[in-house]
Amino acid sequence: MDRAVAIALEGVHRTFRSESGGEVPALAGIDLAVAAGEFVALLGPSGCGKSTLLRLVAGLDRPERGAVRSAAGRVGMVFQDAHLLPWRDVLANVALPLELLGRRPAERRAQAAAAIEQVGLGDAAERYPAELSGGMRMRASLARALVTEPRLLLLDEPFAALDELTRMALDDELRRLWRAAGLTVLFVTHSIGEAAYLAERVVVLSRRPARVVLDHAVALPAERAATLRAEPAFARELGVLQDALRRGAALP
Amino acid sequence: MSTRTLAGVAPPVLTFVLGVALAELVIRALDVSPLILPRPSAVANAAIREAGPLGAALGQTARAVLAGLLLSSTLGVAAAVALAASPFMKRAFYPYAIFFQIVPIVAIAPLLVIWFGYGPRAVVAAAAVVSIFPVIANTLAGLLSVDPALADLFRLHGASRLATLWKLRLPWALPYLLTGLRIAAGLAVIGAIVGEFVGGGGLGVVVLGAMRQQRTDLVFAAIGYASLLGLALFGAVGLASRLALRHWHASETKR
Amino acid sequence: MTWRLVVLLALGLAACGRDAAELKLALNWKPEPEFGGIFEAERLGSFAQRGLTVARTGGPGAPVVQMVTAKQVSFGIASADEVVLARDRGSDVVAIFATYQTCPQGLMTHAARGLGSLAALLASPGTLAVEPGLPYVKFLEKRYGFASQKVVPYSYSIGPFLTDPTLTQQVFVTAEPIAARRAQADPKVFLVAESGYNPYTAVVIAHGDTLRDDGARTAQLVAALREGWRSYLADPGPANALMGPLNPEMDAEAFRLAAEAQQPLVEAPGVALGSMSPERWAELARQLKELGLVGEVQPAERYFTNLE
Repeated sequence: MDRAVAIALEGVHRTFRSESGGEVPALAGIDLAVAAGEFVALLGPSGCGKSTLLRLVAGLDRPERGAVRSAAGRVGMVFQDAHLLPWRDVLANVALPLELLGRRPAERRAQAAAAIEQVGLGDAAERYPAELSGGMRMRASLARALVTEPRLLLLDEPFAALDELTRMALDDELRRLWRAAGLTVLFVTHSIGEAAYLAERVVVLSRRPARVVLDHAVALPAERAATLRAEPAFARELGVLQDALRRGAALP
Repeated sequence: MSTRTLAGVAPPVLTFVLGVALAELVIRALDVSPLILPRPSAVANAAIREAGPLGAALGQTARAVLAGLLLSSTLGVAAAVALAASPFMKRAFYPYAIFFQIVPIVAIAPLLVIWFGYGPRAVVAAAAVVSIFPVIANTLAGLLSVDPALADLFRLHGASRLATLWKLRLPWALPYLLTGLRIAAGLAVIGAIVGEFVGGGGLGVVVLGAMRQQRTDLVFAAIGYASLLGLALFGAVGLASRLALRHWHASETKR
Repeated sequence: MTWRLVVLLALGLAACGRDAAELKLALNWKPEPEFGGIFEAERLGSFAQRGLTVARTGGPGAPVVQMVTAKQVSFGIASADEVVLARDRGSDVVAIFATYQTCPQGLMTHAARGLGSLAALLASPGTLAVEPGLPYVKFLEKRYGFASQKVVPYSYSIGPFLTDPTLTQQVFVTAEPIAARRAQADPKVFLVAESGYNPYTAVVIAHGDTLRDDGARTAQLVAALREGWRSYLADPGPANALMGPLNPEMDAEAFRLAAEAQQPLVEAPGVALGSMSPERWAELARQLKELGLVGEVQPAERYFTNLE
């Protein structure tokens, strides 16, 4: 099936200037194409440049060399911490992107309320971030990312700071939302297990400067349940990815 | 009064009462001349007997302090926003903001009177000059510490600079601003009184006059009234802080 | 035998120690003709000849009355009303030598305003720059009323006077009017004494205990001061030259003019230099009581002592 291309990176290089004047290369020649509706995981060691890549895709940064193209449509982004505005309640937080787009208050409230329901935070709309648990805050952040009904959802290690159970619950939640809205998802992580469980395709990056080491279609069923983690097929996928990571760590 | 408020207020009040009682005993025992150090009882006497003129003077000083604080907080926030606009702005102009902290108000008060004339305007100016730096420094720190991920989020959704300033950066800097105001409040009282030494009016003139007349008890009484003003302002900023930050800041949520 | 020798030696040493003990004298302003007699006495050796070592201290804003009360210094310069006020607050300070027989405090305004008396001045609308709480200010207020005046603090600068034609300010006759004239202004000065309030000024004060316990040396000090003042009045030049470097704000001409201006205020016909009368102290105390600045009038003799 030839799906439309949602994101295309061609020969992308990104180098940062450090305070002392030296150069820190973050991405050294990335080629990547993501089809519309695909769930792709970006897997790599800490500090390799995954977040930089994500920011390029989001349009928050530009490469020195190469091209970043992404299809028209709104983008939602979720960060490692929920990063909610502490002085607003959940509803106002979730409605923020609509507010910045200039939508009218009644419309904003209705759509935000819907997004909140979608992530299962229904009765927390009037609560403030300081009163919520880590998992609930992350759900709110997800709702905020989805409230504009984006085509593309970018996530940067969003569940890394949460406990195991919450993490697994949110993993399933994310896949459900992906399916329901037909989103294109680019999910950055350093967890092999999470990449294998969530994604249809895993792109493994080397250590800094990041290069693509492996672009692997995950050989697991389309329907995933928590029990999958115990199956031999899962372990096999973990092995493949682990291998690629090791190779990537050994590169210059 | 709830038991919690009582528990909070009792220790310092108790310390104060004990301290004053001790001072009274020591001054009496050592027979210290009232010209050098007046007894607390004499000070209290003066504070009550002259409550009329002292109260009126306090009112004058208080009005100047409030006006000065209003001026320094608005100008201070504006200056901080300007300084935060770019690293160049900060490097170019921040050293001049520091001028307001280091200039001794006693030295420039006469200049202020020359520029603004005798009376409340010079006093307000003195209060503002002395209290503006903590507002600038703290607010600037707040503006520069905005969560970069949130800044990214705002950019991602195409927010204008004004929208980012109003909806993200200023609210983010609010706790820092309020901390700066706590410091600014006390400084404004000092600035106003020094301004009054040269420009006239309020508690400053009372202190000068009392010193001239060897009325050290009245000097202390005036200082007492000034301290009450400082305390009231501090409390007011604290209250504003609790109200504004009640939902969101670690320093204010009940844990 | 040895015992008596030791005791004699000890007493002798103690006596030497006492003579060599420094007497601190606190001034209440910078060195200027107001203290001319003191510097002249130093220059002539009048103190040394009498076995006194006098160390000058203090300066503008020094709390001289407090310093004498606390015995941080043996002597100080204050004005007579400060003595009355201090005694009323329980401090045992006593005046021993009055530099000015006529108080040099005054009010200075612009001659162009054409005002001929204190009464006219204070009735004519304008700004009045005076130190808050000064007893003579209260006296003038009670006598003439300040209803037409905008009263502001005086900060020891003639700047505002030079730029504001309706400003009146307090002055020390030997200082500000001279400076104003040299700055091309045309001032008109009214002595406060004209109003009937005339305290002795630049008075040397001592603690009552000093008078009682060290009366001989105090008398010697007064004698030395009188000698110094007599010489200074005859020729202020040498002492002025001594004071000049210590007071960079005044040049030699300013010193000369000030010494000239104060001459008629220091001397009074038929009165020995520095001596005081009980009648004037009684009147001053009465005036201060009427102003509500003191609670009780003490017998005049408590306020001062004329030491011969």
